[in-house]
Amino acid sequence: MSGIAERRGLAGLVESGGLLLAFALFVIFLLAPAVFVFKGSVENISVSLVASGGGLTLDNYAGILEDGYFHYVFNSLYICVAATGLACMIGLLAAYGLSRYRFPGRAFLFGAIMGGQFFPWIILVNPIFIVFARAGLINSHIGLILCYTAFITPFTIYLLTGYLATIPRSLDEAALMDGASRLQVIVLVIVPTMWPGLVAAATFGFLQSWSEYLLALALITDDGLKTIPLGLYQYFGDVQIDWGAVMAGSVVATLPTLLLFLPLQRKLVAGLTSGAVK
Amino acid sequence: MTLTPAARDRISAFWMLLPTFLLLFAFYLYPTFYNLELSFTDITLLQLRQGGDPVGFANYAEFLRSPSFLDIAINTVFWLTFVSVSLMLILGLLMALLLNSEFLQRIRMTTFARLVLLVPWATPPVVAVIAWRWLFDPTHGSINEALLWTGLISQPIAFLANLTTVWPAINTIIIWNSTPLVAVSLLAALQTIPEEQIEAAEIDGATRWQNFRFVTLPYLMPTLSILGLMSVIWTFNNFVYVWLATGAGPGTYTNVLATEIYIRAFTDLRIGYSSAIGVVMAVVMAAFGALYFRVSGLMDMQDRVG
Repeated sequence: MSGIAERRGLAGLVESGGLLLAFALFVIFLLAPAVFVFKGSVENISVSLVASGGGLTLDNYAGILEDGYFHYVFNSLYICVAATGLACMIGLLAAYGLSRYRFPGRAFLFGAIMGGQFFPWIILVNPIFIVFARAGLINSHIGLILCYTAFITPFTIYLLTGYLATIPRSLDEAALMDGASRLQVIVLVIVPTMWPGLVAAATFGFLQSWSEYLLALALITDDGLKTIPLGLYQYFGDVQIDWGAVMAGSVVATLPTLLLFLPLQRKLVAGLTSGAVK
Repeated sequence: MTLTPAARDRISAFWMLLPTFLLLFAFYLYPTFYNLELSFTDITLLQLRQGGDPVGFANYAEFLRSPSFLDIAINTVFWLTFVSVSLMLILGLLMALLLNSEFLQRIRMTTFARLVLLVPWATPPVVAVIAWRWLFDPTHGSINEALLWTGLISQPIAFLANLTTVWPAINTIIIWNSTPLVAVSLLAALQTIPEEQIEAAEIDGATRWQNFRFVTLPYLMPTLSILGLMSVIWTFNNFVYVWLATGAGPGTYTNVLATEIYIRAFTDLRIGYSSAIGVVMAVVMAAFGALYFRVSGLMDMQDRVG
C-alpha cells in the first residue's frame, strides 16, 4: 500500500509501531518451532525433568547415529531418488506428448492427470495393500518406489507441460527436419533447453516423496526397510519420548528439504496457481 | 509409410502417454474400483487370500448409522477443514499484505521475511507435528514454560490431550505448515496489480480500506478461490496431522474420516468396512474436485481474455 511514507506525526508512528509488532509476531510464529527444534537437538534433555542447562552437545546426533537412524536416511534417499527419476522420465514423455500433439481425448487425459494431484491417497491404501500383499510387495522398496512414482507423476507432468509450452515448437521442428527422431529431439533438444524446469520438477517430486508417511506406514513394517518419517516416530514410545533423538532426527530430516526449497520456491508458486496449462 | 502425418502423430502420442496411462490405471483407476468392490464385502486383513463374502450395503449402513458418524463428520468438515482453511486464507492474506507493504521495504526486511516464510513451508509435515508436539509438551514445552512464567496458568496444560485445546492445537500445526504457500502465492498475485490502478483510486479519493476492498481484493479473488479449493481438498484428505499429533485421540475425540479409514483397516483389520468409508469420502471429494475444475477453468478463460 502506498501512502505510508507520506503520513507523518503521531498517526504514522502508531502505524509503523503496529506494522512492526505484526512483523515481530509473524517472525516469532513462523520461526520459533524450527528454532526450538534445533535448540533441542543440541541440548541435553533429561527424560523426566525440564531441560537441564548442560550447555551445547552433539550427543543427540551421536545417539541417532548409533541407533542406525542413518539407515532410514539412506532408505529414504534411495527410494526418493529412484521414484523421482522414474517420474521425471515418464512425466517428460507424457508432457511432450500432451504439448506437441493434437489428438482426440487430449483435454480429457490432461484433466485425468490433474485429478491425480488431488486424489485422496488414504482411500487407495486398502486396495493397494491387498494387491501388494498378494503380489509379495509388502516390505519391499520396489513397491514403495512404484507408489511414489505414481504419487508424484501427475504434478511432474503438470509442471513440465507448463515449461514445454514456453519452448517454441520451431526448435523441435528444425531438429526433425535435420532427420532426428522424436526421441532424439527430446533427449538432445528438449532436455538441455528445459533443464531448469526439469530440475524444479525433480526437486518437487523428491520433496513430496521425502515427507510421505501414510503409504510407508501401511506398506513397510520391517525396521531395516523404514524411511525417515517412520524412523522418526520410532522414538515416540508408549510411555516416554526420546526427545533428544527426535529433535536431532528432525533436523537431519529437514535440512535437505530446506536447502532444496531455497532455489525452488518462486517456480513452485508460478506452477501451482497459474491455472490450467495453455 | 502410407500413414498420414496426423495418424503418425497419434501413434507417437500414444506411445509417449502409455507409461503414464499404465501408472494411472494401476495406482488410481484400478484401486478405486477395487476399493468399491471391497466395500461391499466383509473382507478382513486376516483372510486376504480367500477374500470376503458379499454383504451388500451393510458396511455403508453400519457407518452412516454408527454413533460416531456425526462426530467424525463434524470433526472432518468443521474442525479439520473449515477452521484450518479459513484461518489459513485470512492469515495468508495478512502475511502477503505485510510482505508487500512499503514498511517492510523501508526497514529492508522483505528478503528476510520471504526466507522466514520458507522455513515452515519446507518443513515436512511429519517434522512440523514433532516441532509443535515439542512446543506443546506439558513437561518440556516452551509454551507451557512461558505461560507458567508469566503467571497466566499455574499448572502446565497438555494441549494435545485436553479436550478444549486439542483442536486449536492441531489447527495451529496445520496453519503453521500450510499458510506460507498461501502467503507466497497471494504475494505473487499482489505484485501483478498495476500501481496505476491503486494510485488512480487514491486520486479519486478512495480510502485505504476502499482501495483494498474494490481494487486489491478483486485482483486476488481468482488466486484466493484456487488456493481455497486446493487447501480444502488437501486438508480434508489429510491423515498425517491428526494421526501423528493425537492418534485421533484423546479417545476418539479428534477422529476424522482419514484416520477412521486407517484405524478400521489396520487396527480393527476390517478392510471391507474401512473401504466403504473410503467410498463415502471419495464421493464428497469428487464434488470439490468438480468445483475445482470449474473454477480453474474459469480462471484460464480470464487469463486468455484479459
